[in-house]
Parts: sequence; structure tokens; C-alpha cells
Amino acid sequence: MAQADQGAENSGRERILARIRSALRVPAPEHAAPAGSASGGAIFAPIADPLERFRQECALNKTECLLTSDLGASAAAVAEVLGSIPPGEIFVQDAPALRRMVPLWQGRAIRWSSEGGPAEASQATITCAEALVARTGSAFVSSRCGGRGASIVAPVHIVVATIDQLVPGLDEAFARLRASGAVEKNSMLCLITGSSRTADIEKIIVMGAHGPRRVVVVLATA
Amino acid sequence: MSTPAQEFLRSAAVKSSDLVHRRTIRTGIDHYETAVERTGERFLDYEAARQRMHEIKWEAVNHLDRYLLEFEKRVKERGGRVYWAETAEDARQYIAELAAARGVRTVVKSKSMVTEEIDLTHTLEKQGVRVYETDLGELIVQLRNEPPYHLMTPAMHLTRAQIAELFAEKYGGVESDDPEHLVAVARRELRKAFFAAEMGVSGANFLVADTGMVALTTNEGNGRLGSSLPRIHVAVTGIEKVIPRMEDLAVIWPTLARAAVGIPIACYNTLLGGPRNANEPDGPEEFHVVLLDNGRSELLADAEQREVLHCVRCGACLNVCPVFRKVGGHSYGTVYGGPIGSVLMPHLGGLEKYQHLSFASSLCGACTNACPVKIDLHHHLLQNRRNAVKETQRSFGERSAFRLLRWVMMSAGRFAFLGGAGRALLRAAYALGLARTQLDPLRPWTQTHAAPRIPAKSFRAMWKEQRGAS
Repeated sequence: MAQADQGAENSGRERILARIRSALRVPAPEHAAPAGSASGGAIFAPIADPLERFRQECALNKTECLLTSDLGASAAAVAEVLGSIPPGEIFVQDAPALRRMVPLWQGRAIRWSSEGGPAEASQATITCAEALVARTGSAFVSSRCGGRGASIVAPVHIVVATIDQLVPGLDEAFARLRASGAVEKNSMLCLITGSSRTADIEKIIVMGAHGPRRVVVVLATA
Repeated sequence: MSTPAQEFLRSAAVKSSDLVHRRTIRTGIDHYETAVERTGERFLDYEAARQRMHEIKWEAVNHLDRYLLEFEKRVKERGGRVYWAETAEDARQYIAELAAARGVRTVVKSKSMVTEEIDLTHTLEKQGVRVYETDLGELIVQLRNEPPYHLMTPAMHLTRAQIAELFAEKYGGVESDDPEHLVAVARRELRKAFFAAEMGVSGANFLVADTGMVALTTNEGNGRLGSSLPRIHVAVTGIEKVIPRMEDLAVIWPTLARAAVGIPIACYNTLLGGPRNANEPDGPEEFHVVLLDNGRSELLADAEQREVLHCVRCGACLNVCPVFRKVGGHSYGTVYGGPIGSVLMPHLGGLEKYQHLSFASSLCGACTNACPVKIDLHHHLLQNRRNAVKETQRSFGERSAFRLLRWVMMSAGRFAFLGGAGRALLRAAYALGLARTQLDPLRPWTQTHAAPRIPAKSFRAMWKEQRGAS
């Protein structure tokens, strides 16, 4: 039987903790301690116009950012993206806002997240997000947004979001995740910035390593 | 059998005169340096970011028991399991037994130095499990049957042509050495493994104590797939990886991305807390975290070098190190190479065996300047040297030479006299045409360098002349 299945605590635990406690009885030398109480200095410059910054960052990290007037227009924008990808099943987060968009999607075969994870051959996935981050042009998703595979399995990931989800930086994004209970409720959170890439061959950046080659954020501004 | 020190010298001599190797590394480092400089503009104050990183890790490491227990409690609340492994053997055995008990036949691994440290792959393979490295660089070195060259870019020493040749041999269907094409080949091969695997093994960049989540950073998305598709996810990492709060990542993620590869932020910064929830469509049914000690608690007890445990394994110190750039990652003969490896290995593998790495340094301090958590690396190298002299057996020759040197240096007269005698001797030898021959008194240096011009006067004499006697 694997140790993982034995009910009792593993025996190394107490010994490791005892060694840690004994080690920490000697304080680290003064000169290595952080000076003063805490660093108060600003690390990043404030962001005056989050939407403008978000668009700039998306352009840099190769996220396609489509601005629409409202969710109705977003449905049409998503339909247009779908028109550009090969036929086949798509995977969609089972959310009321996305269900309402279906009539515009030209009868694509849809697998909903309420039926399980995405199929290996999914052509695209469509999900909501927990937040959008302006400073890095990122989308914060969670397992609530269609599960774990929803943002990684298919070659195209379409994120449907609204302007009230856009925050300036990561601090604000974490605050939002805490406030909404997303941290407790989800087994996965992921900050996605651009599409999957690698620079492991001669440090040259190649897009589309294992995850989506295209990330599209459809952002309703009203 | 040669010692690790002899092996190091031999390999270093070969690598530093290998011009193809030097050119490949130079290209890689040039790309890195340009990227790091460019991302610097994204910070209002990068020094403040380093200071904040230092403070976060300081707080965690100096209250390690408290934060590990908090992490463990939260992981359990989320339905995950935590195993504390005292040694590499202990950690390997836990994972191998788990794989056997669950009938695991295929494992997908995302890049993790700790799995290298515990040599997990060979253990699993011995019991008939197929193990796929899924990080592109790791995959390449796995196919070549060699260890990772670099903490962050494991296949940095290879050219696209070498990689194309490797893929053609192993996979077939290789049409060119265009990196884009090679990535597509690897993607095609690994995708089958991702969907077949029953277990995903990853490391952890950080363990977030207050939310009970494992923070995993990847650009390729392999860590995402490996923690989404297989029915078991095991994250194995060192006990020092814990951080107090999720909010700390707001500074950590962009700073790590800059130091590691010179990008604003990595593509996927993921937080994984437990197995899938009942209402979630997918994700693993089991989630295990293996916390590895393996010498770390002893390093913690060394208050002087405790901050070495702050390391976030970004690899910046390797990239800037003049020694690493010449001798390359494999010469070290260790899991962790470069300056951080030279500091760390005596603690993980013994001072006797790995002390030579601390002497193989110019102590220039480039590593300390580059470190995003401000580890005083070059002073720790110096401390290792001191410890080595104090705690290990030195040869009679070495002790005598230093005793003599001390005697000479304790008197200005003796120093000046012997310096003058040395210059006279060299001038005479070089006048006889002995420069760069077997009989050159500076043979160890002139074997690989032009012979120096012998100055007519000592430095002190020139100083007196130019600045006037004081």
C-alpha cells in the first residue's frame, strides 16, 4: 500500500519541523535583515487609462483584443472569430451570458462545460474571466470559467469579458478574487498573458507551444 | 576514479576552448541581456522590487515552520495531501509507490529542478512507467540522455541544427531546423502523452501559505496541461518555496519573469489548490504536495548562509557569471549549476566533495547584483572557502605555500625584495626565449595566454613616482 493511503501522519514530518525550529533558534545576522520596517517605494508606475494600457499590452503580447459596445455585439464578434477557424466542435463555459450568444454562432457543435472537460479535438474554447489586468494585458481565469482544460487544450481561446472586470494591476486583481470568494471556491486560478510560447531553442520566441496559438479577448465596453 | 574537482577542471578546460559552445552560449546570453534591459523599463523602481522580494522570502524562511504548517492546513482543507520527505530517497519512494498503487503507466513531467535533485525519472522508469519531459528544453536534453544545462533554459547549449537532427532521429517527420517547425514537432509528440498520462508531476515555484495553493509558472503551458488532464497531480518541491500571502505574487511574478527570461510576465501563472471540486468539469481527482527537506533544514541552521534558501531558481546568476559563460552548465557536474549551485551544493552534497566550486570564481559580484531576491552570493562563496579551509583536510603543499605567502606578506621589505627577485628571474627567463615554453615559470598561465610584459618597477615604486612620496 502506498504511504499516501496510510492514515497516520508521515514520520518525517515531525523530524523536519523539529529541525526547522531548532535551526531558527539562531537568528539570521542583522546585516542581512531587511532595512527598516518595509519598503514603501512604488515598484510600478500608476496607470492613468487602464483600457488604453490593456490594449497596448495585448498588442505587445499578441493577445487579440476586440472592443465591442455591449454583450450583444460581443456575440457577433465571437461569431466572426469562429468563422475564421476550421469546422468542428467548440467547448463553451456553461454560463447564462454565453448561452444567450449561441443563436449567432452558425450552428457550431458545442460541448458545454456542464458536460465535462473539452475534447482533445476542440477547435476553440469560449469562456468568461474573473478579471482583466491592464498592466500586463492579461486575463485572470479560474476553474469556474469552464474548468482547467478550457483555457489550455484548444488552439484558440476566446475570453468574453466586460469593462467592469478590467483592473489596473495584479494587486487589484487579487483583491477582487478575494472579495468574490473565487480563491476559496476554485481549485485553479490562472493569469494568462498572451498565447503559449517557448524560447527554448536558441532563445528565439515561438508561439503556440502546448496551449492556444491564439488568445482573443472580446471586451464589451458598456 | 577522478574526483568531482578533477572532473570540473577537465571539463572546464575542454568547454572553454570549444568555440562552437562559446558562440552558442554567447548568442543565448545576448538575447537574454537585451530582453532584461528592455523589461527594465516596465518597472518604476526595480530596486524596490528586489527589496520587496527579499523581504517576502526573509519573512517566510525565518518563520518557515509557521508558514509550512499553514500551507499544509489549507491544502488539506481543499482536499489535497501533503507529504514531508526528509531525503531524496524518501520523496522518490513516496511518488513511486503512489504511481504503483494507482496503476500509473505514463507520467507527464513539467520542468522541475527538484525532480532532478531526487532523480525521479529513473526511479519511475525502473518500475516500467513511461516518463515524458514536457518542457521543450527538458524534452530535448531527455532525448539526448543528458542533464539540463541551465536552471531555466535546459537546452541552451544546443543549436537548432543539433535539435533538428535529434528530432529527426527520434521522431521523424522533420522538414527543417526552423524553431517554429521544431516546436510543432514536439507539440505533436507530447500531445499524445498528455492525453494518455494518468499522473502529472510538476515542481512548484511557490507554495502560497494563506490560500493553500501551489504557484506554477510556465510559458509553454505544459504545466497547465499536466495539472489539468491526468487524474493525479503531484507537485514536488523544497520546503523553502513557501511564501506568506497570495498578494506577494503581485511583485513576485513580474520580477521573476524579468530576472529569468527578460519578459514582462510569464504566459501562464497558475495557482493550484487541491483536486477538482465536485462542481468543476475537469481536473485531477488527487492532488499531492511533496515537501522535500534533503539538507535544506541544515542550511537553515547556518544563520550566515540561511538566505541562500531565498533563491527562486530564476537562473539570472548563471547568465551573468563569467565562469558559467566559459565553462558551461555541464562542467559543474551538479544538479544546480552556476553561482547559486556553487553556494548550494556543499550544503546539499557535502563540503568535501563540492568545495572546489566556490574556489572557481573571480568573486566579481555580478551574481549578487543580478539576484532578484538580493542573495549576497559572492560573499557566500567566500564563506564556503573559509569553511573549506577550516573544516576539510588541506594538503601539506597548500598549507606550506600559504604559510610562506603569509610570512612574505607580513613584511613590506620581504615583499618588495621577493617581488624584485621574481621580476628579475622572469626577465632573465624571457630573455633566454623561454616564454610560453615548458620551462616558462608562468607556464600554467601562458599555456593559454600570451606571455605578460614584465614591468621594470614594482607597483609601489610607480605609485611613489607618479603620486609623490607620502
